[in-house]
Amino acid sequence: MALPDSLSHDMQAWTASSQQHIFRQLMRAFSYPGRIETLATSGAHALTLTLAALIDRGSSLADPQNLLDDLTRQRLQTPLTVPERAHFVVADGTRPPAFTPALGSLESPEHGATIVLTVVALGVGTDCRLEGPGIAGSQSLAVTGLEPSWLEQRRSWNSAFPLGVDIILLDTIHAVALPRTTRITLKGTQSWAT
Amino acid sequence: MGYVAIRGGGRAIEGSHAAVENLRTAEGESGTPLSLASIEHQLRLLTSRILSEGGLYHPRLAALALKQMQGDTLEAAFALRAYRSTKPRLLETPLQDTSKMRLIRRISSAFKEIPGGQMLGPTFDYALRLMRLDLANESPEAFRKVAGSFLQNAAVEDLPDSFPKVLDALRNEGLLPPLNTTARQAFDITREPLVFPVPRSAALATMARAETGSLLAIAYSNMRGYGDVHPTIAELRVGYLPVMLPHPVTGELTEAGEVLMTECEVVAMYEGNANDGPPVFTLGYGACFGHNEVKAISMAILDRALQKGMRDGPANPSEDPEFVLLHVDGVDSMGFASHYKMPHYVTFQSDMDRLRTTQKKNLASQTTTATRAPA
Amino acid sequence: MNSEYELPQDEAAYSFGFLDEYAKREIRRCVLKAISIPGYQTPYASREMPMGRGFGTGGLQLTLALIGPADTVKVIDQGADDSVNAVSLRKFIEQTCPSVDSTERTAEATLIQSRHRIPELPLEEAQVLVLQVPYPDALVVVEPSEARRKIMHGEGDYSRLLTKLYEDIVQFKEITISHRYPTRINGHYVIDPSPIPRYDVPQLHHSKALVLLGAGREKKIYAVPPYCNAEPLVFDDVPFRTEDFTDAKGQRRACHRCGATNSFLDEIIGDDDAQGLDKTWQCSDADFCRGQRESSRVMAAQLA
Repeated sequence: MALPDSLSHDMQAWTASSQQHIFRQLMRAFSYPGRIETLATSGAHALTLTLAALIDRGSSLADPQNLLDDLTRQRLQTPLTVPERAHFVVADGTRPPAFTPALGSLESPEHGATIVLTVVALGVGTDCRLEGPGIAGSQSLAVTGLEPSWLEQRRSWNSAFPLGVDIILLDTIHAVALPRTTRITLKGTQSWAT
Repeated sequence: MGYVAIRGGGRAIEGSHAAVENLRTAEGESGTPLSLASIEHQLRLLTSRILSEGGLYHPRLAALALKQMQGDTLEAAFALRAYRSTKPRLLETPLQDTSKMRLIRRISSAFKEIPGGQMLGPTFDYALRLMRLDLANESPEAFRKVAGSFLQNAAVEDLPDSFPKVLDALRNEGLLPPLNTTARQAFDITREPLVFPVPRSAALATMARAETGSLLAIAYSNMRGYGDVHPTIAELRVGYLPVMLPHPVTGELTEAGEVLMTECEVVAMYEGNANDGPPVFTLGYGACFGHNEVKAISMAILDRALQKGMRDGPANPSEDPEFVLLHVDGVDSMGFASHYKMPHYVTFQSDMDRLRTTQKKNLASQTTTATRAPA
Repeated sequence: MNSEYELPQDEAAYSFGFLDEYAKREIRRCVLKAISIPGYQTPYASREMPMGRGFGTGGLQLTLALIGPADTVKVIDQGADDSVNAVSLRKFIEQTCPSVDSTERTAEATLIQSRHRIPELPLEEAQVLVLQVPYPDALVVVEPSEARRKIMHGEGDYSRLLTKLYEDIVQFKEITISHRYPTRINGHYVIDPSPIPRYDVPQLHHSKALVLLGAGREKKIYAVPPYCNAEPLVFDDVPFRTEDFTDAKGQRRACHRCGATNSFLDEIIGDDDAQGLDKTWQCSDADFCRGQRESSRVMAAQLA
């Protein structure tokens, strides 16, 4: 179903067909962690596309760094709360984490948060190696602009499976998923470059 | 556009639809199609049941569901529930006040006299269950004669618009705990699954649209001794609740319409007060769409039983929230009972394989004495 | 009721895929968590559908939340596209999802909804398999209370289930579970893989495709991610055995239509065979059988 040309890319993210398409890409991203999905081909930002596809008033959101504009927040209709409790947290991956997200419980691990992290670029930069479910052998992923303390914190948050958090990395048009089951190691002795 | 061609399975399904319709119209030339208004009025208690089990207040659609499903209450409630499931949610109503109900029936077993009086209203409770053969060949003239007669001599101006709640008198005397006036967010069972332990609002919502017979059976078990609610009905009322909704512009609460509903408040054994005050009676609450007293009473008894079970741990099935709440929904239970009719030959093949292997092993480990393999 | 009231004849148009967008997004959020916690039964609200609970509403809700115009959908029941329930579900999907193609060919499908079988043809990364689930919980056979089961799952405590399997072995010299064989995913959660035969369980192990499992009545969605361990529970001295299709002479039975000796077979008792003496066997997977017959025809033509 082609979108009418008259719809600006501003509105595209809010259509049912766009959300279905984006969701399938995100589902592939989670199924095959580390593989980069190209989300936006028409100007809408990957962050808006991702949130519009996933959340609404049935979920909850934290945006402690005000990465979303008022119009987007309004359209999402998602109740805002603190990052310690939100189902979805939007954060700037170039800065270190400043909160401890919900990790879920033994009986309800799905209450562990989904963290949507914006980085500078996916596919270039510091190399890491990923292993785990969804990955045959190992998978390489290059990222620019991810503060290393995110990976350290993640290791600590996810140390007691099934508790943990699941992360979506986004640049302006790409998405990569890091479910809590994925094991990440930095390649060689490279340090992170922003 | 690629589609799979219709073959045997598809033709069988089409044939089954035709057979169903054929039975519905079996009267042929001498038959008249049922009108929805007739179902809604002349089978009003059946329609009430579908309203409450479907969870959607739309008497005309409930009547349609009954007509379509040829009187099967489980299928009709299912059809209404499925229809409801696709309707957009416009808003959530604020708390409605049932003391504002315009009553057609109101009784209390706890007291002989109550403010406003006991009103028997339309009930079969004190009717003799003798077959009324005069209804067998009711003529349209006889029907219309009865229809006109009821209100002719009624003294309309004697009746107040609404009646106070009996429980308020008990509360004023301190025999019941004070009403909790802080309105909490009700659990929405249509948007969230039940993950135990659940709050009381989830239990009430589940029971409000539960299948009547299922609720009755479990409540009956409590009445007979698998439990100790020992209820007295403080008040049972049937009537039309005005539905107050915020005006879209001014926000002022305005009457948008009314729903027929049944409400039952039951007083049970007293227990220690949570705040270390004097002991008080405990309360059970039941309410549902339409006129369905057995359901409201059963629900009130189970509400009390479940509250006890949630607090002290269940001592019998009617006090166990998981047991009660997961087995009273007619749509779920009927669907699963019916699913056994679907093909299961692959799983059965797997079962046969297991049994054959086990029998072979059994036979192989026999001694020289020949014995029969277990059946 | 207002006696002048007329029932509105025009139905509000159903959205694409029947479910409203809130229902779809809720399912989608649930799916992503299910993939992130392999084998964990993730709860969701589960809308009523126009077909009965027990008839695949869980699988259907998954399909409708995932499906888009680019998809080609295949629906099977017991391996057959023509089975009554598969026909009914497929018709519903076709009606509510205009512009979606449907197919009987496994290789052409992007989305496969199935009851009780995994297709014989190994799936590819571009495909998603949705399995219909009546009982999502492998522990239900030893513990009726869901609240207690959740704790056992969280702690990875399957001792009571293993005890039950052991007791079977002591009594029957076999693990008697036939279908719904408890299978451990990613070394943690043990799932009920739905009533697929044991024959199909190995297909879950390191599949290229994502497998989603939906229970509508029980309101749970769970997942077996691709390239993930899926290990049926066994004991060291009692190996996992799939269904046995060897005849009395020890020969593996073949499908009487296509000759395959490597597929799950249906046992057919003929019309004239009241005593069951003259059974025939044929592939349960209708598309697999067709494919075998086609390639035999092609080969025969080439040799001719």
